[in-house]
Amino acid sequence: MAVTRRANRSTRLLVVTLVVASLVIITVDYRQGNSGIFESMGRATASIVSPMQAAVSRVFRPIGSFFSGLGHIGSLESENRRLRDEVERLKAESGSFQDVERQREVLLATLNTKLRLNLTKTVGANVIAASISNFEWTITLDRGEHDGVRALQPVVTADGLVGHVLSVYPTTCTVQLIIDPRSAVGGRLAATGETGLVVGQRNKDLKMELVPPDAEVPPGEQVVTSGYQGGLYPPGLPIGAVSHVYTDPASLTKVIQVRPAVDFASLEFVLIVTGASPGVPYVAPSASPSPQPAPSASGSATP
Amino acid sequence: MRRVVLWIALVVTALLLQSVVFAKFQLGGAKPELIALLTIVVASLEGPAAGALAGFFGGIAEDFLLNQPKGITALTLTLVGYAVGMISQYTTTSTPLIPVVLVAGGTAVAVIFSQLVGFLLGQTGVTFFYVVRVALLTAAYNALLTPIVYPLVRRLMEGSKSQRVFRL
Repeated sequence: MAVTRRANRSTRLLVVTLVVASLVIITVDYRQGNSGIFESMGRATASIVSPMQAAVSRVFRPIGSFFSGLGHIGSLESENRRLRDEVERLKAESGSFQDVERQREVLLATLNTKLRLNLTKTVGANVIAASISNFEWTITLDRGEHDGVRALQPVVTADGLVGHVLSVYPTTCTVQLIIDPRSAVGGRLAATGETGLVVGQRNKDLKMELVPPDAEVPPGEQVVTSGYQGGLYPPGLPIGAVSHVYTDPASLTKVIQVRPAVDFASLEFVLIVTGASPGVPYVAPSASPSPQPAPSASGSATP
Repeated sequence: MRRVVLWIALVVTALLLQSVVFAKFQLGGAKPELIALLTIVVASLEGPAAGALAGFFGGIAEDFLLNQPKGITALTLTLVGYAVGMISQYTTTSTPLIPVVLVAGGTAVAVIFSQLVGFLLGQTGVTFFYVVRVALLTAAYNALLTPIVYPLVRRLMEGSKSQRVFRL
């Protein structure tokens, strides 16, 4: 009885110690921000884990093909079984060829984007992991400090803006996606030139705020980065297209919902813009006869 | 020592699976919380002290990979590990449903508690409704994984117990 009581007391003491240790870590890290000892320990942990993530990602990708190929084992039992396995094998081969072809198309489209958007210095990167949290919208790329990647550099795909580099490690980096609720991008309506702030809404459409109340916004209009001076993003990078416009009943301001140009669920290959790029004025695919407002290299008005 | 090595291996494996594999296999847009799952399983097998220790060190490892103040997950999982360990001590029935219920309940509480602490530290961005939705989905996902993870961890824990030799 006395032994049990003593064990309970030591367990309680252990828990109190661990809780106090957690509270100290939270307080110290919160006060020190991005330069404290725990941030450094986090960077060290990420530097160790990221290469493992890259390795697991490389292994995990062909696993689907492996499982489809398992159907071939023991295919000599009967003619029927053999033929069925043959069909499965051909399907698997066809699938892998399609995968290679799809990857080639993604790379070509990304290269075209680089040329079209006048992105002078870029580094291509593969997506190796997503955030471990359900409340952070970030991805990990297989490029880091050794490849010239630095924090706050923009990341794009052939379809448009992905986000910006949040943290950099020797061989990998973490990118905050524009769908993260903590992300805000200066945006501009391609046709009218009205500017606003495009805020992440998780997996829902983005929200463009601070738009002048009298702005004309037709559904489907393209939204691009405004590229204001001192901002992270060069002008003209496609963000998405207007999907819905409404007035916020609380603030009586106009709110624009923007469907992202990038499919964030299937990101594989991206470009990190490592050097200052002048960008280009965005021209919508279905060019309208009215002239597009052309921002200068220094960008348009700050929203 | 063997226990420590085993726990490190389990935590690293869980973090890799969660960020690479389960990022592709989501349940209603939610990933499982594998560190919470491991903590709860260890707590229900080994008691409150082991649960609290497993929660603290697993949580701090997860914290180091998140873009939020470090220590929030460690605090959450320490308390969840201790609470689940205490509940397990006083649970007399041995139905296989008990670990599943503990994992589901513990995960939902862990998700909501950690977001509440984050909110108090100014980590806003998601609504309370979204937090509850993710908590329920993550709890369901972890509960689905329990029949695989629980026997696996139990076997590994038993295998890593130090062998004492008594000489007569």
